[in-house]
Amino acid sequence: MPLLINREVVQNDPWQFVTAEAIEAGEPLPVGSVAVPLAYFVEHKANLLARSGEVGVTVNGGDDLQALIASLADVSLVAVEFPVFRDGRGFSIARKVVRAGFKGEVRAVGDVGRDRLEYMESCGFNAFEVNGESFSDDTLKAFTEISVNYQGTAADPRPIFRR
Amino acid sequence: MYQYNEVDQTLVQERVEQFRDQTRRFLAGELSEDDFLALRLMNGLYIQRYAPMLRVAVPYGLMSSTQMRKLALIARKYDRGYGHITTRTNIQYNWPKLEEVPDILAELAEVQMHAIQTSGNCIRNTTTDEYAGINANEIEDPRPYCEIIRQWSTLHPEFAYLPRKFKIAVTGGPEDRAASQVHDIGLHIVRNDAGEVGFEVLVGGGLGRTPFIGKVVRNFLPKQHLLSYLDAILRVYNLNGRRDNKYKARIKILVDAMGVEAFGELVEAEWQSFGKDGQLTLTDTEIERAKSFFKPLDYDLSAVNDTSLDQQLAEDKSFNAWYERNTVAHKVDGYRAVVVSLKPLLVAPGDITDAQMDLVADLSDQYSMGEIRSTHQQNLVLGEVKKADLYALWKVLDANQLARANVGTLTDMICCPGFDFCALANAKTINIAEQINNCFDDLDHLYDLGDIRLNMSGCINACGHHHVADIGILGVDKKGEDWYQITLGGSSKADARLGKVLGKAVAADDVATTLQTVLSVYVENRKEEESFADTVQRLGIAPFKERVYAPVN
Repeated sequence: MPLLINREVVQNDPWQFVTAEAIEAGEPLPVGSVAVPLAYFVEHKANLLARSGEVGVTVNGGDDLQALIASLADVSLVAVEFPVFRDGRGFSIARKVVRAGFKGEVRAVGDVGRDRLEYMESCGFNAFEVNGESFSDDTLKAFTEISVNYQGTAADPRPIFRR
Repeated sequence: MYQYNEVDQTLVQERVEQFRDQTRRFLAGELSEDDFLALRLMNGLYIQRYAPMLRVAVPYGLMSSTQMRKLALIARKYDRGYGHITTRTNIQYNWPKLEEVPDILAELAEVQMHAIQTSGNCIRNTTTDEYAGINANEIEDPRPYCEIIRQWSTLHPEFAYLPRKFKIAVTGGPEDRAASQVHDIGLHIVRNDAGEVGFEVLVGGGLGRTPFIGKVVRNFLPKQHLLSYLDAILRVYNLNGRRDNKYKARIKILVDAMGVEAFGELVEAEWQSFGKDGQLTLTDTEIERAKSFFKPLDYDLSAVNDTSLDQQLAEDKSFNAWYERNTVAHKVDGYRAVVVSLKPLLVAPGDITDAQMDLVADLSDQYSMGEIRSTHQQNLVLGEVKKADLYALWKVLDANQLARANVGTLTDMICCPGFDFCALANAKTINIAEQINNCFDDLDHLYDLGDIRLNMSGCINACGHHHVADIGILGVDKKGEDWYQITLGGSSKADARLGKVLGKAVAADDVATTLQTVLSVYVENRKEEESFADTVQRLGIAPFKERVYAPVN
């Protein structure tokens, strides 16, 4: 599962992802930076922030996005799940996160393929766990296949008529 | 019309190379079937019953003669010599080869065309009135706004994986020739009490298996907020539309389930909290720039002095009939808009050959300032013809099977390709169109019946808009046989309404005779000058039903 951050392959991921199942099974949180499901973060915010190590949240299209926006000041990673690539809610979630002023890592996880990387980056993702089987050096070219846009991007939100 | 700048041109060219690479990776086995499916659909490429089908975008139905010649060349070189005009005013080819599609897209890019977002769960080609800019009743020409929407929606990074497809139509005045009320979003240019121009915004219209007429979500949207408000609607839909069932994924289902007030509140909250007055707010400069491409053309004001037309109309009965049916008033005196009928007797509705495309391109250069429009009724329009040129134009069209004087009549059908081509269809449509054409081939009979919109779909997806026709025909499959359900009393115009089902479906062989029965009830009951639509509204469906399903003695 290669990880791209700011268009570069990253070997060591500092984040440990804790699933809802692991939490339910009573497993203790690992040491260091952890990303937990949004609902768990909301419920255990005080304890999580008291830990040493950074905290991130994982969200999907079914989550309460107002709660996500309210949590942004306290987290440094938002990982947005794409259960299948056709589920495009993650694009809008990234947009909402970025426009709320979030400056941390916005990571696309799940069914993340090469042919959606450019759109994802435009919407505000800066990190991508790319599907292993489809990853190659060629994958990085995906970010620059279309060099122009009409709408604006997270990096430059001005639509074409304001540039 | 709009002319590409460097950004537009770069976009379509890079898109061609992107798709070429995607096709290469697919053929090399590096891209899964499922992955490629979504990508090819967003480039207009379907895999149909016998072959791939490529749908080329004709933004808001406007083409130049140069573009039309390219479409002819593609039909000749890459297909079987014809194309098919669709209800989204696009053109589709039924026999391209998968591996040649990147080359076809490269040909299109040479003339500022593409197939981007003509399919897939994204924002599709925006449509409008085929008489935009030439219709005296419009408040403003809707095409500049269509172009603004085209640019905003093209390769939109956030709205490429919506729950389902998304269609927008814009009208310029009180008349509706774009079926705007059965679109995901319908935009009507209106003037408020202060005299400002803006949009009435409808959401949640649509056809398919659960048809709805769109509901007003905003009475007046100032025009500078057009994109920011669309952005808010699309985001609310993208986040809240159903994704568990593709038959319930259109925005119409969401709007119906929530109620339009609650939906409108979500949109308002999204819009007020972010988009309104933000980056997407249209500047006056941008609106003026878009309008500059659609300025009134260089009309010859002396055209009004023509006296030849009246004489030709008096002398030639066939020309007169064509003039009455297939030409339309133009806001400039001395000009008419000409509908090029793609509904000849024995050809599938909406089909046009490569030679006919070349011919129409030449005729548009000669007689109509080099522009051609496609209509959602699957005809073409030459919008700018001097009255003095009509006779000469008619003669050429007539000699090339493009002047059947049936526009607006029963045989000017909207018809999807049906089971002969489409992988989704349940029943054939082209054979039924032929049967109806054979049964109603007498033009005087058609003229006596007057304006009748007949729409036919080969399955419940309703590409043929059967719900919103005076007479709708829906093909259904019953134990391997084609049967046809008939609806009466629908409309896609300003008085949009859904047709009512006449009764149980009729057998394939009985469709035309059933229509004869329906129309005999109309003829017997109509008041003077009363149209079929008005008669159905006045009488209701009962007398028609009674006659059609009367026991046979």
